[in-house]
Amino acid sequence: MALKDQGGSDSRFFTTQKKGELHELRTELHSTDRTTKVDAVKKVIASMTVGKDVSGLFTDVLNCAQTGNIELKKLVYLYLINYAKSQPELTLLAVNTFVKDANDRNPLIRALAVRTMGCIRVDRITEYLCEPLGRALRDDDPYVRKTAAVCVAKLYDIAPELVQERGFIETLHDLISDSNPSVVANGVAALSEIAETSGRDVMKISASVLQKLLAALNECTEWGQVFILDSLAKYVPGDAREAEGIIERVTPRLQHANSAVVMSAVKVILSYMDVMAAGGGANAENIRALTRKLAPPLVTLLNSEPEIQYVALRNINLIVQKRPSILENEIKVFFCKYNDPIYVKMEKLEIIIKLVSEKNIDQVLLELKEYATEVDVDFVRKSVSAIGRCAVKLERAAERCIGVLLELIQTKVNYVVQESVIVIKDIFRRYPNRYESIIATLCDNLDTLDEPQAKASMIWIIGEYAERIDNADELLETFLETFEEEDPTVQLQLLTATVKCFLKNPEETQDMVQRVLDLATEESDNPDLRDRGFIYWRLLSTDPEAAKLVVLGDKPVIEDDTFRLEPNLLNVLVGQIATLSSIYHKPPEAFVVRAKRSPTSDVMGMDDDEEDIGGEEEDYEDENDVNNGGGGGGDLLDMGGLSVNDNTPSSADDGGMSDLFGGGGGAAAAPEARMSKVCTPEKSGGIELWAGFRQVGGAVKLELDIRNISSNVPVSNLAIQLNKNAFGFSPGSQQVICNPPIPMGGSGKQTVELVNNPNMLVQVPAGQPASPQIQVAVKNMATGLVFYFAANFAFEALFSSDGALERTAFIESWKSIDDQKELFSTVSDLPPSSTDIDQVAAKFQGYNIFLIARRPVPNAVGQEVAYFSMKTTTGMIFMAELTFKQGVNAAKVCLKTENIAYGVQAKIALENLLRSP
Amino acid sequence: MITNFFVLSPRGDTVIAKSYRSKSGVGAHERSHTEAFFRKVKFWDGVAPGTPGMDTTLGLGSGGNKLSADSLSGGSGEGSEAKDSKKFGDAPPVFVMPDGYSYMHVKRNGLIFGCATEKNISPVVVIELLSKIAKVFKDYCGTLSEESIRKNFILLYELLDELLDYGYPQVTQTENLKAFVYNEPIVVSAVADTGKMINPKTASASAVHKPVISSVNADGKKTSLAANQKNEIFVDILERLSVLFSSNGYVLNSTIDGCIQMKSYLAGNPQLRLALNEDLIVGKNSGSTSYSSGVTVDDINFNDCVNLSEWDHGRTLSFYPPDGEFIVLSYRMTGEFKTPFRIFPSIEEVEPNKLEIAVHIRAEIPDNHFGANVSIEVPLPHSTTTATCNVVSTPGATGVNAEYVSQDKKLVWTLKKFPGCTEQTMRAKITLSGPCTSQIRREIGPINMSYEIPMYNVSSLQVRYLRIAENMPGYTPYRWVRYVTQSNSYVCRL
Repeated sequence: MALKDQGGSDSRFFTTQKKGELHELRTELHSTDRTTKVDAVKKVIASMTVGKDVSGLFTDVLNCAQTGNIELKKLVYLYLINYAKSQPELTLLAVNTFVKDANDRNPLIRALAVRTMGCIRVDRITEYLCEPLGRALRDDDPYVRKTAAVCVAKLYDIAPELVQERGFIETLHDLISDSNPSVVANGVAALSEIAETSGRDVMKISASVLQKLLAALNECTEWGQVFILDSLAKYVPGDAREAEGIIERVTPRLQHANSAVVMSAVKVILSYMDVMAAGGGANAENIRALTRKLAPPLVTLLNSEPEIQYVALRNINLIVQKRPSILENEIKVFFCKYNDPIYVKMEKLEIIIKLVSEKNIDQVLLELKEYATEVDVDFVRKSVSAIGRCAVKLERAAERCIGVLLELIQTKVNYVVQESVIVIKDIFRRYPNRYESIIATLCDNLDTLDEPQAKASMIWIIGEYAERIDNADELLETFLETFEEEDPTVQLQLLTATVKCFLKNPEETQDMVQRVLDLATEESDNPDLRDRGFIYWRLLSTDPEAAKLVVLGDKPVIEDDTFRLEPNLLNVLVGQIATLSSIYHKPPEAFVVRAKRSPTSDVMGMDDDEEDIGGEEEDYEDENDVNNGGGGGGDLLDMGGLSVNDNTPSSADDGGMSDLFGGGGGAAAAPEARMSKVCTPEKSGGIELWAGFRQVGGAVKLELDIRNISSNVPVSNLAIQLNKNAFGFSPGSQQVICNPPIPMGGSGKQTVELVNNPNMLVQVPAGQPASPQIQVAVKNMATGLVFYFAANFAFEALFSSDGALERTAFIESWKSIDDQKELFSTVSDLPPSSTDIDQVAAKFQGYNIFLIARRPVPNAVGQEVAYFSMKTTTGMIFMAELTFKQGVNAAKVCLKTENIAYGVQAKIALENLLRSP
Repeated sequence: MITNFFVLSPRGDTVIAKSYRSKSGVGAHERSHTEAFFRKVKFWDGVAPGTPGMDTTLGLGSGGNKLSADSLSGGSGEGSEAKDSKKFGDAPPVFVMPDGYSYMHVKRNGLIFGCATEKNISPVVVIELLSKIAKVFKDYCGTLSEESIRKNFILLYELLDELLDYGYPQVTQTENLKAFVYNEPIVVSAVADTGKMINPKTASASAVHKPVISSVNADGKKTSLAANQKNEIFVDILERLSVLFSSNGYVLNSTIDGCIQMKSYLAGNPQLRLALNEDLIVGKNSGSTSYSSGVTVDDINFNDCVNLSEWDHGRTLSFYPPDGEFIVLSYRMTGEFKTPFRIFPSIEEVEPNKLEIAVHIRAEIPDNHFGANVSIEVPLPHSTTTATCNVVSTPGATGVNAEYVSQDKKLVWTLKKFPGCTEQTMRAKITLSGPCTSQIRREIGPINMSYEIPMYNVSSLQVRYLRIAENMPGYTPYRWVRYVTQSNSYVCRL
């Protein structure tokens, strides 16, 4: 009967542990019968894997390792490896076993000991590890050597200096020419890993290493081939001939059954093709030949499992941008299959758009039209959108594309119509004044529009072509009825469209424009909308002709965005083919986790600091909207409605802004944060919130001033969460504990440390300024109420103390940046302290903005310029030129940076600091 | 390389998990990370949680729409947040989670084989690796199911130790792993494939569910592999067709995905020689101008173990077959080939709200072959109220049935056997709740056909012979060579 019980399966070990079972197991572990012992260890492991604590049996299990039986030994090691991670101190007991086993006669046991030892991350063990490891690296048995090679990488992670000392890296280099393919594979893998973690060039490819690698390539396991190819991809051949020679050796890998090998081979060939291209025109024929060779393997990848297809498609997306000729004739293979998973279909569409040309557009349109009738809504929408993108890309086919879109609009399917409207707007912006005849059709479908984007697009079209639509004002009127309920995007468009309409036809629409301006400036909580409203108002009331020039001015024609990755980024990404980077289409820095969070104790210490300063922050209660105003300056760039790369200098706008709000005079003083009211009691169940940002000891802090206006429940515990933002901030701790709780009528201050989290980073679209806004959600744990606010980040809080550039470096960088990228503005109404360079420099120093040089302006009496540099903790460098004139309380700010997206932020920070007394 | 590896059941339970590089202190909550990952896969919403602004599948926020979103809203990035939790279908195999790790996974038999990494590693390697692990598990357990994995967990942990070291792939070939494995598999009876009819001629032989090493059966009795081993080798020439027809029966797009797959149970692992058509041409534009009668493939990939020295002359391969299932070579063909079935649909509007659909299918395969488990689906408009169908079959067709599935609004026409050189027709009368507009008309179709054809392949790629290289007297292996053609995506537009 006992036999029957045991014979079942390993899952019999999963029976619940009764009392004393540990004891029972212990007895069994000490049994002299091998089968009983083996079964007992199995039971222990079973308990371990379901999460039970069997560490109490450690010594007992360890005892079982004293056996020649390899099955039992392997089980013991399975147990050891698990506890090596969670209870390293226990493993110290096993060191002797390891050392002994590393000398065992059986190579399997030797390797097992080395492998397990490497997994134990205890410093004290590493010393014992070196001796056996050194021996294992020279072992006669390849299985032991290959295990040892990986173990060197493990050791490097714990104790890099030991690896150096013992010369293990040199030994790894020797392993590249080992006779056994697995050893070579692991040797290369270990070296690559060490090179990556250390940032040192331990995998440097010399001529001899190159020959070794190429020789090994033919012998290696499939994984080893991948490692070798990836190393080769990092190597830059000396000349075109060498590149060609290596490519010749690599090309056969394109036919490998393992797609990883194929992909890495493609990567090598692509990167060497650049070297060949640089070698001059003589290689053009060879490059063409290579191009032809690359297409079949890439296409074959698309017949693998969908998972591989997905990865391949993301990579092909990059490849067709870099070298369109490779797949130019293969567009058919990217047509979607009926049973493709949605993620594959979406990627295929992207590539279809990239490969579409006048030759194949008719075929493509036929396909896209077909896709537009499928069931999956997102796929349909993307297909419709793709038709529009084809139109934007191919001027000669635009008319045919529009024809298809109109056909689709006739179907009256809600989402198809909406998507069509959105892309038609883009087509209008690409080809102004050409296809307006279709507006009538669009106007017939106004009722179907219920999504903000589609509505906004339609409203933009109405505003832009108001003079051609007889009842434009009536159409806008219908939208205005629901103005307050609309999404902010729609509201902004309505505002702009109404103003356009008014400028084109003042008599009929005067009332309407007045009403919209009222709604925008008085009724709305949205700062963007208010700002835009005020500007229009002011423009219209001061100089309607100027308003016409601004609002109805010619807008830049949008460009075909299908090759939208910036060339620099694209080059980086093509170099990253066959890595995760190529899937995300982001450089590795953007998602590889390296940042280490500061220990909690540190944060606590900081918090205490805050409390002391906190008391002085009481008196910032006045209108502090100037921060918002400054922030809004960036948004003004697109006030003309829509513009993508509008280089209009924003100085004039900014001046206007500060005037609008009665000039500067923000109440901030160094080094505290400038606080502004971000949340009113109505939104948050009776709590008023003020927020500001500053830097303390290198850490960015969000300062919160919490005022309990009308909440019966004292505020004691808030949970805080940030939306993704342009700075990649997330709260260091999500809990904000108010101790003592803030009763009704009381107030309290809190500090939240903001830590950098790459996952929170919003990629700033090319040509757009980064949004200063940080959107915050707060949950009042006492009431369960969730509310939201947005605060504009004070960019100066990001400047680090190492921002002072060398003088020469400064001059060089300054010169290297094109004047076109310059941002400039004039700050007027400065407080007296801000007109003297010495005082400004001293104040700026407090914010990590460093004076580099100052000099009088030649030929201009009384004018002096000062140069400042600053660097953010994220490594962005900004350089500023400030011009002062004696006796004038204004300064000219001119800013240059490579990180143009954040330039506006830095400029605003400088302006704000100048304005503050 | 990868940080950990795990297998999740269809319900999200961790069936097996192993971490290869962990920092002290983590580990306990690793499981909660896997759970978060599972929820993300299960309820995929189109937005990779860890990668702001990058919605991997959706792409709505990027590309064409980006233009409008940014230019309209001033680029505040609201586009991506505005998307609410709709159903977005399958999760892509690679994405970043908020914990900063990239997760990769493949699905096999309903199980999720997944892993995480914090480095910028090659996703192709990982996905190939995960597929290999799944295959090794299947080879050793006989079948791949939650039960078989749970029952064999110690064996599988042992395997995992050899498969991966510090997250780097090590030995991943079934036969090479044998030397390191000491546990014996416990056989779980194969779960019958519910719902689907299994055709004995095309389903794999029972041998496929046999573990590659000797095993313990459920009663604890040891079954030695050597004892009942017949010297067998199974060779499948498998071709999967993707064909797209236009409504008038023209072929718009066609591909054959073929492979030669083997499973060897030969004692002593002798070297084999496999010869294919001598007139096989690789590469469409490889210079051969004359239209030879030969087989032309676009591209061909070989297994690692294949020796190609005789390939260029004679189209012969030699290799030592690894244990377990393996693919000797795979190939791809596009262009002209004779499609086994041609579909001719027609729609007629008899009354404003009444339609008649006729689907006429002609089998263009020789009459000694037949299509098995044929199923044709015709999606109908949402406004369909009733539909009746009848079929006109020629003798020889068996198991014919056609019905309207009102739940899915589609016609399903099945034939157990569709003889070659015959024509079958289905007619359906459909009543709609309203008049048939052009939009409603568009909702019909596309027609999707699935089938398999035993002992037939479209490409006419042939195995000339399969021999044991050395002359071994008295060694008579059983060679089972099968040709199978299957539909992958066989679609006719309306």
